[in-house]
Amino acid sequence: MLRRDILKGIGGSLGMLGMAHAAAPGPHFAPKAKRVIFLFLNGGMSQVDTFDPKPVLDQRDGQPMPGPKLQTDRAAGNLMKSPFRFARHGQSGLPVSEIFPKLAKRADDLCVIRSMHSDNGNHGPSLLMMNCGHNLPGRPSMGSWLTYGLGTDNHNLPGFVVLCPGYPVLGPQLWDSAFLPATYQGTHLLTKESGPEKILQNIRNAKLSLGEQERQLALLDRLNAGYLQQLGHEPQMEASIASMEVAFRMQTEAPEIFNISNEPEAIRARYGDHEFGRGCLMALRLAEKGVRMVQVYFGNFQPWDSHDDIRVHSKLAQAADGPIAALLEDLKQRGMFDDTLVVIGSEFGRTPMIQNSGLERVGNGRDHNVHGFTTVLAGGGVKGGMAYGATDEFGYKAVENKVHVHDLQATILHLMGLDHTRLTYRYSGRDYRLTDVGGHVVKPVLA
Amino acid sequence: MAIRGLGFALFALPLLCPAAPADFFEQRIRPLFVKRCQGCHTIDKLSSAAVVPGNPEASVLYQAVARTHAKLQMPPTGKLPDAEIADLARWITEGAVIPAAPPPGKPSSWAFSALPQPAPVNIDAQLAKQRNEAKLTPNPRADKRTLLRRVTYDLTGLPPTPAELAAFDADRSPDAFAKVVDRLLASPHYGERWARHWLDLARYADGQLGASSDTPYPNAYRYRDWVIHALNADRPYNEFARAQIAAEKPEDLAALGFQALGHGANDQLDVTTRTFLGLTVACAQCHDHKYDPIPTKDYYSLLGVFKSSKVHEHPLADEATVKAYQDHKKRIDDAKFALERFVQLQAADLAELLARQTAQYLTAKTADGLDPEIFARWQAYLKGPAKDHPFLENTTPEKFQALVNRIFADRRGMEERNFVKLGGTKGLRDESTRQWTNLESLPILEYYLWRDLASDPYNKDFFSFAGGIYYFGEKEIDRWLSPLWKAEHDRLRRELKELQDTLPKQYPFLHTLRDADKPANAKVAIRGDEQNLGEEVPRHFLTALCDSEPAPFTKGSGRAELADAILGHPLTARVIVNRVWQGHFGAGIVASASNFGQLGERPTHPALLDALAAEFIADGWSLKRLHRRIVLTDAYAMSSAYTAANAQIDPENKLLWRANLKPRLDAEALRDSLLAVAGQLDRTAGGPAQPLADTFHRRTVYGYVGRTKPDPSLALFDFPNPNNPAEKRTVTLGPMQRLYFLNNSFVARQAEAFTQRLTGDDRTKIQQAYQTLYLRAPREEEITMGLQFLQQSGGAWPQYAQVLMTATEFTAVN
Repeated sequence: MLRRDILKGIGGSLGMLGMAHAAAPGPHFAPKAKRVIFLFLNGGMSQVDTFDPKPVLDQRDGQPMPGPKLQTDRAAGNLMKSPFRFARHGQSGLPVSEIFPKLAKRADDLCVIRSMHSDNGNHGPSLLMMNCGHNLPGRPSMGSWLTYGLGTDNHNLPGFVVLCPGYPVLGPQLWDSAFLPATYQGTHLLTKESGPEKILQNIRNAKLSLGEQERQLALLDRLNAGYLQQLGHEPQMEASIASMEVAFRMQTEAPEIFNISNEPEAIRARYGDHEFGRGCLMALRLAEKGVRMVQVYFGNFQPWDSHDDIRVHSKLAQAADGPIAALLEDLKQRGMFDDTLVVIGSEFGRTPMIQNSGLERVGNGRDHNVHGFTTVLAGGGVKGGMAYGATDEFGYKAVENKVHVHDLQATILHLMGLDHTRLTYRYSGRDYRLTDVGGHVVKPVLA
Repeated sequence: MAIRGLGFALFALPLLCPAAPADFFEQRIRPLFVKRCQGCHTIDKLSSAAVVPGNPEASVLYQAVARTHAKLQMPPTGKLPDAEIADLARWITEGAVIPAAPPPGKPSSWAFSALPQPAPVNIDAQLAKQRNEAKLTPNPRADKRTLLRRVTYDLTGLPPTPAELAAFDADRSPDAFAKVVDRLLASPHYGERWARHWLDLARYADGQLGASSDTPYPNAYRYRDWVIHALNADRPYNEFARAQIAAEKPEDLAALGFQALGHGANDQLDVTTRTFLGLTVACAQCHDHKYDPIPTKDYYSLLGVFKSSKVHEHPLADEATVKAYQDHKKRIDDAKFALERFVQLQAADLAELLARQTAQYLTAKTADGLDPEIFARWQAYLKGPAKDHPFLENTTPEKFQALVNRIFADRRGMEERNFVKLGGTKGLRDESTRQWTNLESLPILEYYLWRDLASDPYNKDFFSFAGGIYYFGEKEIDRWLSPLWKAEHDRLRRELKELQDTLPKQYPFLHTLRDADKPANAKVAIRGDEQNLGEEVPRHFLTALCDSEPAPFTKGSGRAELADAILGHPLTARVIVNRVWQGHFGAGIVASASNFGQLGERPTHPALLDALAAEFIADGWSLKRLHRRIVLTDAYAMSSAYTAANAQIDPENKLLWRANLKPRLDAEALRDSLLAVAGQLDRTAGGPAQPLADTFHRRTVYGYVGRTKPDPSLALFDFPNPNNPAEKRTVTLGPMQRLYFLNNSFVARQAEAFTQRLTGDDRTKIQQAYQTLYLRAPREEEITMGLQFLQQSGGAWPQYAQVLMTATEFTAVN
């Protein structure tokens, strides 16, 4: 059959067929990880209450913060101790807060970067920085860069999937392909939806059976073949016509993957009956099927934004802890832990000082903090059971082995086999890259 | 990133430069510095220790990169390739020439130079010259069917009808094609088509970016309609452009939607310079432009113009209507605040009173003598899950009562002090004051106790609280109020409701800019950081585009002067002529249509572009006549056939030996075409945007363009993201698009409607279908294929029609 001949002829990366860029420019060298799962605790996880213990805060609770004042988002008050206890875990003795009891059991798998810093203390710019490498909108997201750079391992699924019950702050800008071809845009799926029809547009035909469609495709092949013959040599058109076959196959294969009820009850139970848990389980299945990057937002808007009451972090962690631990466990169990890079983090951290401005009601919260925060890595190509870098004695500002967001991005790309300085795209006369003009690979965290 | 000192900074040798070394610097050395050094080093000063002209070995810069210096090794990430080190050596040997930023009056780039004297241009002769030099043979003229389809899509975005082809076929006169072109240019669909190209540049959308959905701009369409109308009326391009920068006439104010339907001064600066001048001035926001002669100061000179211009909703209603509406809205705000404050204060007083009975509620076995509702709330609370505070453990009713009394008293005192800190009601109503005022609050555990007893319900950040035991809100507090207070509550409620019910629909308005009351210069934001401001710079045009020192703008914001300056520069005509060329040939003479700077593509036919630009100005900036000159060439009418011999010499068809194939209709043309052939297209022009539902049968340009969530079908076919200006559509062809053709209900509906238009037996209907969709008769084997399909599918005509309508012959333009 003709379309199969064409398929054979062009082989390779059909799912990503784009006129402009049929072949992916990467990888540049052998990758350590084949895929990324980015668990985004949107809103801003507080480092001093989770992975960066600061005993000094207990001693100086309620006292003013010494030293020069750094820019914060709102009026900042005195130092405030963490309401949560820390303990050391695993052989590595990595300290983890009591609000992550299950994740703490996997301490030896975690690579905790405590010296993250970013540029702008508002959610919008920092979300853009973490996702797209720039404070302003208009740049492609990391998932878009990865799929542009590496193509996909599964032609029947989108290469970059974003899961959220609804939308985080800024929404689609965070998975935008911007000036990269639209094929590389993240496919946003609502974790609160269940039917595949709601997840992938046009995946089902309301009226026609697969048999009827097969007959349509056969006719279409012959018509297109006749037209192509008249045109002469047009390889791009040939490739485009071949993508029909892929589309046909997607109709039967894709819905299967999104149906998490296929997982045994025992597995589903560990992820919990919560949207973030379902997102983590779906991420596992998508990663298993070769999706290049899956991003799971913890929730709509910005749940981790505990301005009011830092104790709410324990409720948030309660929902996050089980699914993350289960995901790490299942990746191991399915033999995927070593080549799946898991990133756990936020757009920024929180101040060690109390925030008690007239906007808040409880008066026990923390403000945004871009000067120092924590991101946790696990799996594909990173060392487990280590803490890298440090904030000052209060947990306010990264001071030792500082890691800018661009450095984190350079490292993620490196683990995926891409040189962040060579993964470029020419737009409006300039070569752009994810890390703008910055970024250094953080070598000490590499396994 | 920190600027690291090497003991010297790169670049500041004021050397006069002979031409060749300057070119060598621009071609080899500047890119090298940009790539290898500029991450850490500034390019503005170069000390004599760093570079000793003529002597690389004595230059620290060379020693560092060649790794011969005792300590200094640059770049720290690893040694440069030998070829680059050799380039640096050659550059220093030849005198380490750095061309200074071009002095005023001395153009640095071909694109900035003056245009030739205008004269009628023979486009074909100019193209032939370069083609002949390259030994390319141009393709023959395409047949009339192909040509009609091509030009009809290019000028109107719609498919031609069989009748139009018949008329064109029948016309044997030499100007038959010119008549077709004139007909199409006179069609209202021309403006709709070319407005959409313009709206791509203008990053047009009908709403404002939001997290999960747009805030619609119900009046944005007035800008879209202004563009369509201006193009249909062939408003001279200089007027068209000026109106979008600094409209003054009332009938043109809608044009300022170009500026106002965006996000702030930086965005306005970017879209204005990119669209009209084809320059990426925005690069200079954080650093001197690395390639073009645009210093950061110039960026802030222009920014001052836009910062002195404020977004203004220009009402299309009389003053009294506007004032009445604004006053009414303010009264609603005030009434709302008054009602909320009343309930707040009453609820607080009530809770405080009730809290004094806490011990009774704790010890009571029944509700006797107590309020039954509160009693029930207490019972539920005591049975409920673990508390966030420890105060109910190991206590007695008396001790607990005392604690509650003390906490409520503390809280009351704090509230009063906080009220003073905020500056009373005014501060309380002002979000920024509240944001920057540090207030007192209860210790957290005491807060939790107070909250459980008295707080109103809240729902924030993954945590919700249902309301305290003693809390009674707007709906339930009345039973506790004395008659006098109750009457007051009713009055406040009534007042608000009356105001809300009588608020008139907002008057229509235009999204415009107007000059600020006090126009002001901007200060340079060092490395783009608005919290780190440097010197103030006067408002003026880009230095590199001025013949002499740029004159400061003096009238208002300076926007009108900016428009004059833009339209007075030859770059502006070059850029628009190139855009029109790109719209017809698929690629511009300058392939990077919005970047005519150093990093943009070089023109394939520079003399032709210049001549066309000069003629365009001399011809009164008429876009329609420019279209006509371009599409009436032999080059435009060539066939798109592939010839191996030509392809070997010029595979990208830069010298135009054939017409460029358009492999897929763009999103709008595709949707409009499906409607058109199905006989379903509603050709009504203008008006408010509507969602692109299956039942919306008007042209796609009138559909709602969302910033937050683009229409999924448009996005699927590479509709550009309206948060970025798009100089050209990307064209992707992938399986998700194929799913659209297979399964989308819109396609199925149009196939069904199309089927309804066909009459006669199957063979006749197949012939009609081919004529309408492909403008040709089917070949015999095609009829056989069709009949076979219909037979196998039990006469499923819509299924057959769907195949014909999704075949490449329909969706591509050759």
